[in-house]
Amino acid sequence: MKERLMKLSTPWKLAILAGLLGFIALLIGNPSNRNVIDVNAKEMALATVKNHDRIDAMTLADWLIKENADYTLVDLRSEKEFGEYNIPTSVSIPIESILNSDLMRNQKILLYGNDDVASAQAWFILKSSNYKAVYILKGGLNAWKNEILFPKLDASATAEQTTAFEKVKQVSLHFGGTPQIISGGTATTVAAQTTVAPTMPKLTAPAGKVGGGAKKKKEGC
Amino acid sequence: MMPYFKFDYFSVDFSLVIAFVIGIAFGFVLERGGFGNARILAAQFYFSNMRVLKVMFTAIITAAIGLFYFTWMGWLDLSLVYTTDTFLIPQIIGGAFLGIGFIVGGYCPGTSFVSASTGRIDGMVYILGIFFGIFVFGETLPLFESFFNSTPMGRVTLNEFFGLSHGLTLFLVVLMALGAFAAAEWGEKIMAKKNGRGAE
Repeated sequence: MKERLMKLSTPWKLAILAGLLGFIALLIGNPSNRNVIDVNAKEMALATVKNHDRIDAMTLADWLIKENADYTLVDLRSEKEFGEYNIPTSVSIPIESILNSDLMRNQKILLYGNDDVASAQAWFILKSSNYKAVYILKGGLNAWKNEILFPKLDASATAEQTTAFEKVKQVSLHFGGTPQIISGGTATTVAAQTTVAPTMPKLTAPAGKVGGGAKKKKEGC
Repeated sequence: MMPYFKFDYFSVDFSLVIAFVIGIAFGFVLERGGFGNARILAAQFYFSNMRVLKVMFTAIITAAIGLFYFTWMGWLDLSLVYTTDTFLIPQIIGGAFLGIGFIVGGYCPGTSFVSASTGRIDGMVYILGIFFGIFVFGETLPLFESFFNSTPMGRVTLNEFFGLSHGLTLFLVVLMALGAFAAAEWGEKIMAKKNGRGAE
């Protein structure tokens, strides 16, 4: 048997090798199951301790104003909630379909839900599926509302706080928010409009597409 | 994990260096395979020399087996490997054009560069033709753009399309290649007898 094998010409040996590997592949079936994930527990734990993967609302607002577009903003809430309000440029990917989305493993992904819970869960799913750069919007949409859309300043604030608030006010107005000054329990809006109860800004055109991802770049030969 | 570039193991600049090195190696191997010679390439279409088919199929199954086992071992994320989107009808017609050009000119785009780099004048003329063709295509694209973008199927692979497992698809492709090798050897013998000379 061995002698016979040795006598074969190289093309024959290679052909037999290819045939064998092909046959073994047939037995293996599918090389990767996308629903079963491998987790490096230690690496994950370290990543959570360092807090490197949290972006606060102000930073996001800053990115949006500067039109920094090297990340994909993902809204994890239901499509209904997404339709009511979403942060500009976000795409709607409900958490249950996160692994079947068009998100690429090398993409920078920023997640938000109503609070931190859904985004933390999605973060874990994505991280353990080898998505490289996954970030969480700190405090989720609630933080976005409190810090950006409806920032509040106490009437008895110090000069420093007031200066800081001036900047926030500009940012807030940019996103259609309603900055308020609180004095003695009643809120006064600073903006031109005088509605006492703050309302959510209306959705303006480029709200991102539902279920979509970033457009694929052309590449190849 | 592979693919390295998609996981930011190196920058765009360095990827160009790697592309250069791989490109040189690719061209060298093509030349050594005899792909710098229009006579050998064109002989494929008259079934007198099946070298093109053999080299192509060898490359295909080597790569396919490698990708399958790398994925299986967890070294590679196949979903990140770029696959051209399928536009069925335009690509069939484009493929036919490429085939006609291949028979008439004796090269495909890649091999014409291999041939030109070894100093063959027909290869250099062929490259001029390529650039002229690209220019004409670019200028006239608006006229047939709707056709160019018709029958889009997105990213399609054989196993997804036929609903087979990845391994079964690979096995069938390997069988097809081995069958093609056998048929090619047999065909060459027949043609050699008919033409009264041995296969090159």
